[in-house]
Amino acid sequence: MHTVPLWTLNKGQRAAIRGFADVLPDSYRQRLTEMGFHGGEIVTCLLRPAFGAPRVYRVSNTVYSLDEDVAAHVMMQPLEAGA
Amino acid sequence: MNRRVMLVGSPNCGKTLLFNRLTGLKQKVANFPGITIELAHGPMPAIPGVTLTDYPGSYSLRALSADETVAVEQFHAGLASPEVSHVVCVIDVTRMEKSLYLTLQVIRHARRKGKHVIVVANMMDVLDSHNVELDLDGLAGELDAPVVPLSARTGRGMPELLDRLREDPPRQVPEPAPAPEIRIEINPELLIQQQAHRLAGKYGPRGDMLVRSQNRMDAFFLHSWFGGLAFFAIMYLLFQSIFTGAAPAMDAVEAGLGAIAGWLVPLIGPGMAADFTSDAIFSGVGAFLVFVPQIFVLTLIVGLLEDSGYMARAALICHRPLRFFGLTGKSFIPMLSGVACAIPGVYAARAIDSPRRRRLTYMAIPLMPCSARLPVYALLIAAFIPQTTAMAGLVGMQGLAMFALYFFGLLFGLLVAGLASRRDAEADADVPFILEMPAYRMPALMPLVQKSAHRCMHFVTKAGGVILSVTVVVWILGYFPNGGTDLGTSWLAGIGRIIEPVFAPLGLDWRYGVAILTSFLAREVFVGTLGTIFGIEFAEQNMVPLVERIHSSGMDLASGAALLVFFSVALMCVSTMAILARESGSWKLPAKMFAVYGMAGYVGAIIVYQGISLLPG
Repeated sequence: MHTVPLWTLNKGQRAAIRGFADVLPDSYRQRLTEMGFHGGEIVTCLLRPAFGAPRVYRVSNTVYSLDEDVAAHVMMQPLEAGA
Repeated sequence: MNRRVMLVGSPNCGKTLLFNRLTGLKQKVANFPGITIELAHGPMPAIPGVTLTDYPGSYSLRALSADETVAVEQFHAGLASPEVSHVVCVIDVTRMEKSLYLTLQVIRHARRKGKHVIVVANMMDVLDSHNVELDLDGLAGELDAPVVPLSARTGRGMPELLDRLREDPPRQVPEPAPAPEIRIEINPELLIQQQAHRLAGKYGPRGDMLVRSQNRMDAFFLHSWFGGLAFFAIMYLLFQSIFTGAAPAMDAVEAGLGAIAGWLVPLIGPGMAADFTSDAIFSGVGAFLVFVPQIFVLTLIVGLLEDSGYMARAALICHRPLRFFGLTGKSFIPMLSGVACAIPGVYAARAIDSPRRRRLTYMAIPLMPCSARLPVYALLIAAFIPQTTAMAGLVGMQGLAMFALYFFGLLFGLLVAGLASRRDAEADADVPFILEMPAYRMPALMPLVQKSAHRCMHFVTKAGGVILSVTVVVWILGYFPNGGTDLGTSWLAGIGRIIEPVFAPLGLDWRYGVAILTSFLAREVFVGTLGTIFGIEFAEQNMVPLVERIHSSGMDLASGAALLVFFSVALMCVSTMAILARESGSWKLPAKMFAVYGMAGYVGAIIVYQGISLLPG
């Protein structure tokens, strides 16, 4: 299964959550899960602001901004357009 | 027996707006030392004898930080109270899954304590505007709890909620916690997560229509160029509001106190009592009451930015550069406020959810070039920097010096935060930067006005005593033993002469030492004290004679530059220290900052003095 970090998704790209990297602290996983970032959930990258600013993602009907510290360790399986 | 109702919900679910509707804005807010959570209590006029308690918004009952731990402990304490009859759990129907996770946890814990839960499906007006209908009866059946469709904004559904709260709750037998062997096999949090996901999928709104308009606005406000311009425009307005918008009210406070003193003091008659009333009480009270308008204006504007949804976008824009210094995007507004005055800046830091980054922000704020430093900078620059220009008159040397001092303060504050963050042992126990981007909304003004008034009252009641005490001590030292006729022969001057060797390495004599001592009340007092010592009235308004006396006193450029460095770095404001102690929960942090910044300022001043003195000519 081909997985990529959430941070690398392009604007408009959709992907399914496949897990968290081991280096991500448990407290971070807990908060992500509580917010809806759990296995199988579809995430859409809405915005990639310039200068390395945190990126904007949609999960369910909620929009979140994640810093690279977190988004680089959420592993995603990219979905084909229209999937 | 009076009844209590608990109001809980996830962040940005509209819970506080509902609280204000149910209590009619009559509330008391309980603060907890060292953390920023608040519990608001208010009677419900529609149901006499019932008090509503608003708990801090939370994504879950599993705490990650000290703030969240206190919030969760308070929640469990509330559930255990026999006075509590109902738990009202608010969900945002437009973003159902994140709300349902907490709701399912709340229902589980409430049932164990035999408490009745009412689920409020808030923001129905948003669904109505998109012609979206939900099967809330089905949801109520699955939750085994009544679900009341409601809009806290429009008031729709309020009568039904009140009817349910008027009813005596059905008798519920507390459910036992699962046996330990079952808990080992089944992870209850995982079950709740799966159930929240399933229920949101089954009963929540479908499609992305609810976030489309938000996405369009985000495309502008987070655009690389337009977003940056909008950000600077909004921050400029905020800064202007704190710096100049609050100025008339601050002047009015000063003038009002002056008028009261002018009326009262002559009634007392000449003598020590009148001097004490005039100089210690009114000057002392005035020294901190003058900050109240700034605190009010800043709290109001920060509230408007939060409620409108823009604050989350501003935090996103600032996060990357500030992260390098161990701070967060939410540190920006407190630090910007600190450029006007550290006190409202410290209050604004409440918006930072990470306790660690909030503490780092506290450390940076007092180093921002606040307005109290301005008179000191203006005096010393006028005394030692020539009024010459460079680059064909485009750059004035005095303006350049002022800019350099402001830039130094900002940079030094960031560097201190950056250094402290790298030495911080709690780095791993931090709250991650995962920021919910709330929908853009029109803020409700009255609750924000009330919140701002409450914040001002908190400042007056909590910091006022400390500030007044220090003012009285300094007044006594300056008044005795000669009855205030000559500051030069007072106990304060005596102390100044004793500590003169401390200031000698900066080329300063006892007079400047006394002025520095008194400036610990507030930095700008330095100018007035020097005026008193040199016998110049209204030195703050007219600095020219004071500049001449400084020159004739033998003070040179090296000493002036050393003083500028000292004032830029040292924490010399008892009001800021008092409010830092209140907000951080102890005097440990402000005491440490006072010692470290004071020593750093002193050593830096010596280096600058000795360095300039070594220069030829």
